[in-house]
Amino acid sequence: MINEILELFNTYGSNILNAFVLTLQLTLLSFVIGFCGGVFIAILRSVAPRPIAIAIRLFVELIRGTPMTVQLFFVYYALPVAGPKLDPFTASLIALGINSAVYQSEYLRSAMNSVPKTQWEAAISLGLSSYRSMIYVVMPQALRIALPALTNEMIYLLKFSSIAYFVTLPELVYTAKWIGNRTYAFIEAYTIVALFYIAMAFAISEVMNRLGKNIAVPGIAAEGMR
Amino acid sequence: MSYIIEAHDIHKSFGKHHVLKGVSLSVEEGETVVIIGPSGSGKSTFLRCLNLLVTPDRGRIVFNGIDITSNRNNIHRIRQEIGFVFQQFNLFAHLTAIENVMLGLLKVKKLSREEAVRRAREALLSVGITEDLWNKYPAQLSGGQQQRVAIARSLAMEPKLLLLDEPTSALDPELTVEVLKVLERLSRNKMTMIVVTHELGFAMRVADRVVFMEDGRVVEEGPPEKILLNPDKERTKTFISKLMELYKMERSRP
Repeated sequence: MINEILELFNTYGSNILNAFVLTLQLTLLSFVIGFCGGVFIAILRSVAPRPIAIAIRLFVELIRGTPMTVQLFFVYYALPVAGPKLDPFTASLIALGINSAVYQSEYLRSAMNSVPKTQWEAAISLGLSSYRSMIYVVMPQALRIALPALTNEMIYLLKFSSIAYFVTLPELVYTAKWIGNRTYAFIEAYTIVALFYIAMAFAISEVMNRLGKNIAVPGIAAEGMR
Repeated sequence: MSYIIEAHDIHKSFGKHHVLKGVSLSVEEGETVVIIGPSGSGKSTFLRCLNLLVTPDRGRIVFNGIDITSNRNNIHRIRQEIGFVFQQFNLFAHLTAIENVMLGLLKVKKLSREEAVRRAREALLSVGITEDLWNKYPAQLSGGQQQRVAIARSLAMEPKLLLLDEPTSALDPELTVEVLKVLERLSRNKMTMIVVTHELGFAMRVADRVVFMEDGRVVEEGPPEKILLNPDKERTKTFISKLMELYKMERSRP
């Protein structure tokens, strides 16, 4: 088995490395989009005027309530009817990014709710507007509290990025299947890919742990920096 | 005679609970007013109405000639000029002592970083927070230090009025003294203050006027010697004598 794996890697190494780079890019970029979107949604939902907050809530429920594959198909196949045709990478990035934004906004909201209301009162008492109080006082504390959940989200994204397979993006799972089809060594191909996923997941959790330690502040529990 | 703040007939209910039943109070520039009264009498709620942390159901609040109850658009600008000090300090937990003081200067007053640092240092020193504490987080400071940083945070904004909601109630007696000393000096320097407190000694020494509240109303107000030593109303007398008894008990404790 080990020999076969090494052999496969010898032959298809460059394909696998390219796939690895694509998966990594897709994961990190969609996380960044999801993070920015998540912060934006979480803040708007708590301080925006009611109609806007309701509209955002509906959007959140829509995204949470539909399978990610459907969302990806929608972006890849249905959106071009009205706009430009997107390449597989961009389509996957948009679908994963939006989906993650919605989930991250929910993690952030629950973290924001655990920041004592008195922090907010102190902020507005200084003359900060609602938005600024959120941005400078509540959100920095909420981020520390939400960090473990966000780490989870990034590892989810790593694995969910494999749905890009459905729109023919040659990421890791797609490449494993492609190698399997050519060599019938499915098990070996998927084993290689699995090792890459495990290594990335481990790296993500390591990096986020360090980040957590770096931004740790006495008195704010980033509960379970497990 | 110029009033810095006037509250007219303030009413507030939380659900069925009628907390404020028509409270009026006017405070002149440079005056120190102490509000006393049993817990649940509405003192804190009234104080929180004055900077609209709590929105009154009825009544008018005029700050510096501007009716702030009818025109809430300006409230963020108005709040810059009204400092608020909380019983539980409420320092921003993710910021160091000096950053706590700087936040308002940077984000509200839009000062340059340099100028904000300079003013923050000045404010911290004025309440006796020395350089070794500037970079500590709130959780690393004692209660008395936290409260003094909180006062510095308010003072750095150069408010026209300082509201203090039981500023020493969460502190040990030794720490209470350090905070009261700061407040006493502020009062001598003619900072306009409204203080909710149970510290009768402080009220006696520092207040220009003492207001006794009970059950959502102002029962009696006047100079401290009158209200604390020789009040007209029976209710005030009972409250003060109870508080005195408590005070004596605490002092006679070995």
